Amino acid sequence: MKKIGLTTTVPVEVLITAGYRPVDLNNLFITSDDYSKYIEIAERDGFPKSLCAWIKGIYGACVENGIKEIVGVIEGDCSNTKALAEVLELRGIRVYPFSYPQSHRKEDVEVEIKKFMDIFHVSYEEVEVVRKRLNRIRRLAGELDRLTYSHDKVSGFENHLYQVSLSDFNGDADEFEDELETFIMKVKKRDGSCKKVRLGYIGVPPMTIDIYDFVERFDASFVYNEVQREFAFPRCEVASNIYEQYYDYTYPYDVNYRIKEIKKQIEDRRIDGIVHYTQAFCYRAVENIILKDKLNVPIINIEGDKMNSLDARTKLRLEAFLDMLGDLKEVSCV
Amino acid sequence: MRTLGIDLGSREVKIAVMEDGRIVNKSKVSTMTFYREYCSFDGKILVDLNKLEIDKIDKAISTGYGRNNTDLRMFKAINEIKAHVYGGIYQTGLKDFILLDIGGQDVKVVKVEKGIITDLDLNEKCAASCGRYLENMANVLEIPLNSMSDYYDNPVELNSTCAVFSESELIGKIAEGIDIKRLCAGVSYSLYKRLKPLMSNFNGKDLIVTGGVATNKAVKHYLERDYENIISVEEPQFNGAIGCCYYGESFL
Ligand code: SF4
Repeated sequence: MKKIGLTTTVPVEVLITAGYRPVDLNNLFITSDDYSKYIEIAERDGFPKSLCAWIKGIYGACVENGIKEIVGVIEGDCSNTKALAEVLELRGIRVYPFSYPQSHRKEDVEVEIKKFMDIFHVSYEEVEVVRKRLNRIRRLAGELDRLTYSHDKVSGFENHLYQVSLSDFNGDADEFEDELETFIMKVKKRDGSCKKVRLGYIGVPPMTIDIYDFVERFDASFVYNEVQREFAFPRCEVASNIYEQYYDYTYPYDVNYRIKEIKKQIEDRRIDGIVHYTQAFCYRAVENIILKDKLNVPIINIEGDKMNSLDARTKLRLEAFLDMLGDLKEVSCV
Repeated sequence: MRTLGIDLGSREVKIAVMEDGRIVNKSKVSTMTFYREYCSFDGKILVDLNKLEIDKIDKAISTGYGRNNTDLRMFKAINEIKAHVYGGIYQTGLKDFILLDIGGQDVKVVKVEKGIITDLDLNEKCAASCGRYLENMANVLEIPLNSMSDYYDNPVELNSTCAVFSESELIGKIAEGIDIKRLCAGVSYSLYKRLKPLMSNFNGKDLIVTGGVATNKAVKHYLERDYENIISVEEPQFNGAIGCCYYGESFL
């Protein structure tokens, strides 16, 4: 099976129908022991120091792992990705375009997905078959998510890890389904470990993956991973076709649409505070202004750069934040 | 309900007693005297409340300067930054503010949003932006600390970043025959200049200034350039101890 690299979540159903094996370059980058080497490769090739580390890491991971084709998201993701795709094209990598239309109108989303299907010569009917197959796995991810927030049986990190993997089904949907099923069976037998402070994680998945373990030291845990959950398409059941499924997706569209869903989750999951992660040099940091204003729970904005672990200052800030959230919780419990 | 809060500072120990949400008693002793006269050690530090003439306490909370032992027996020890934030909330009623605490030996800047700390920065490595610096400089100028802070116009330039070098720089200016008012202003201004980079990430409308230096008029005058409202609390030096009381009454 031919590999195809993804820079973000795209209608993977189309690619699988076309006989591709999708590889999420983000996961390839961040799970590698060589993650910092990938960044260096990009900088050596001319990527500026003052650029988001994800872009550089993806670039390095792509060229070093011999990926020959990728999907380039030219609308709905950041402009850095667009430039990244252009450089990859220069390096002889074939780039297939995809857009999340900024209008966020159903008709426009449909047009884009139809274009995407045409590029890969697949029909709507074929794609729907694959979509239904994949939605079985998405449902499992939903169950895992429920076990996280309503039974406290899944840690914030596990929740992150499995949901983020749904962007490419770890390269093999069948194998991934088995793995997920086994995992769910295992965790069901666990005793729920309820922590005092219930946190939500919003923003792009972190470079600093140790954040999940770190918060647990302060009797807190993440019971919501916003973007990772969106990657898993938690509302796929209500979508009657692929167009609706990708229309009802918050991450690439405007922030107010995102906020509506976040608010709902804050309520459903009884979230006490939010950690908003942004990446250094990313435009999404600006959105913190809006998120802070519109969400009525305390929010801390933390920023990651090239390191894959939290720095001392961020740890201190998180600790102070969690400490005070814990105090408030003490009062609201009695 | 009576709650006792003790803030173990590097130079002074501040003590406050809160009764049903109101501060009814405050006192201060030098840190040295506090440990020598009012404490005994038996595995953990034991405070002699009788000697301090404090009685009928339902809850006791302690906090203190970084490395000092703040974990007193029968007290609940809380983080110092948190103590100051609670002090700020109690004394101003605000939930969103920047807190600048300038103590004898360290500086803290804290951002509070929706009543919770969301950002902070500490400077505990350099003495050049702390109370001790102002005291030393006032000594060099042979002027009481309070009077020194009355002057802020036309400050003389002091460029050294180090507290020790600043002293000789100041002496140089004295030798040049510069007016005492400008020298005084220059000292406060040099402290403000060193605070500035620390404050640059902490934008906001309301700045609460606490700690000993909060009584320095000149420093507050300079800070007015960067914040819409400079808010002084009634008891800037007792803020940490008051915060302990507030914490005890609200959360324990
Ligand atoms: S973190 Fe921001 S800048 Fe980096 S790839 Fe994602 S959207 Fe682009």
